[in-house]
Amino acid sequence: MLRLIQTEFLKLRRRKLVWLMLSSALFMPFFALLYFRYVKETGGDPIQFYRWSAFGYTLWFILPVVLGTLCTMLMYEENQHDMLKQLWIVPISKMEYFFSKFFVVLIYSICFMLITAAASVMFSVLPGFVTFEWGSVLYLLKKCLEIGIITSFVMLPIMAIAASQKGYILPVTITLVYVFLGFILMTVNMYLHPLPSMAVIVMRNGDIPGLVFTQAINIPLAFLCICVWNIVAVLLANIALGRRK
Amino acid sequence: MNDFVIETKQLTKIYKEQTAVNSVNLHVKKGRIYGLLGRNGAGKTTIMKMILGLTSITSGEVDVFGKNIKGQEEQVYPRIGTIIETPGFYPNLTATENLEIFSKLRGTAAPHAVENALKIVGLPYKDKKLFGKYSLGMKQRLGIANAILHDPELLILDEPTNGLDPIGIAEVRDFIKNLSTTRGKTILISSHILSEISLLADDIGIIDHGVLLEESSMSELEKKNRKYILLQVSDIPKAVLILERQFHLKDYSVQDDHTLRLYDTALDIGEINKSLVTQNVTVISSGLCNDTLEDYFKKITGGEGIA
Repeated sequence: MLRLIQTEFLKLRRRKLVWLMLSSALFMPFFALLYFRYVKETGGDPIQFYRWSAFGYTLWFILPVVLGTLCTMLMYEENQHDMLKQLWIVPISKMEYFFSKFFVVLIYSICFMLITAAASVMFSVLPGFVTFEWGSVLYLLKKCLEIGIITSFVMLPIMAIAASQKGYILPVTITLVYVFLGFILMTVNMYLHPLPSMAVIVMRNGDIPGLVFTQAINIPLAFLCICVWNIVAVLLANIALGRRK
Repeated sequence: MNDFVIETKQLTKIYKEQTAVNSVNLHVKKGRIYGLLGRNGAGKTTIMKMILGLTSITSGEVDVFGKNIKGQEEQVYPRIGTIIETPGFYPNLTATENLEIFSKLRGTAAPHAVENALKIVGLPYKDKKLFGKYSLGMKQRLGIANAILHDPELLILDEPTNGLDPIGIAEVRDFIKNLSTTRGKTILISSHILSEISLLADDIGIIDHGVLLEESSMSELEKKNRKYILLQVSDIPKAVLILERQFHLKDYSVQDDHTLRLYDTALDIGEINKSLVTQNVTVISSGLCNDTLEDYFKKITGGEGIA
């Protein structure tokens, strides 16, 4: 399995989009920098800055869309160039193949959030919006790691859809629908969709200002929601890859 | 225990209402080159895919190395190298990087395996050219390099000379022949080009519309296709007796109750006729025949030719 994950990274050589998408981790910290420079003041509270730079649109839109695109990219290449039959006769099991790609997404997601965290600290401390404190930095790192890890699991259904398709248009479109649906369902039922369920897990202590939950926080239910979606996704991927020869 | 590396029994593949492969019994012997010859769409690739377990079998059985491949993939696949259809690789990587990925996946232990495989097919090692910029011929060469990378015992090559220029075709042919003769590899190769198969194969299987029409060794086939005198007579045993006694005939075959093939074409047909008639054997017809492999292919496929 480790060998398979290593080769997955080798396959990403010279893929400019991978680096371009990773650079989007800087978008919200930079936006927060401008926002607190020209519009609002942090009042010295780092959480106010992090709320914009790491916990806002990054969590809801940017990271899920980036990961959905990455899932599609990882699956598309081999589907498009008819490579799967060469891989099956190595032999590689379909599930090993699927999970090796998932690990790439997981590691990528963690890196993405660590870059966001580093940029958030830099863009908040260097201009002097907040003073450097280990406590708030560690809090940010912890939350970013949580977001990075859980979001990769939340995007597993997109990876399963990408595995079942030869093209990239449908998986990318479904990614957008999936992300917006998550945002809409947040106000209806937080435990129907993995994205709001992830938000519940990440913001379980109510320590991120600006977000009001419409339902009582239920962590097991949030995990159950993500698990159910993921089990269905893995089953779908298994069937879809079984058909791909 | 037989010495077949690949054996299929009544192998059948039906796609909805179309029978792509119909009760094929294929026998690939150890250390030999088996040429699967057939027109485009005859079912060659489907057979190869079924042998490799890449497509489901409607009915019948496949044994590779004496085992049913299903459930034995871990043991059987590392012993096989293949090209099925057009080989696909990562377009953003070089040939070396692509082979390094497959080498890593297979756990190929041999040092310089990638370098050697590329050298054999005439592609440069550590070249900077990306696979996406390769010509069809170069892609095909890389496919062959990937097939031989892990030094497999059995090679299954689906139209490996596709897209190669004439020199490339000759090089690949020599290389495949060499793999069989010097290294004892068993090779199943498919082609729609008759001359390719005739120059390469030890055994041949002719497939048409999913049916294996003929399976024999190349030498047997050549015997069938060499020049001969076709003789139709009223009494075969008597005619044979006369020919053996009078013309010291040894190389002949009896086709049916009235037909004989004499492979010694130096014989005088007029003398034969005269001799048979004088000894009360009616000669219905006689003449010199010369079937080529292509004629033979046309004949057994019902008149359809091949490239």
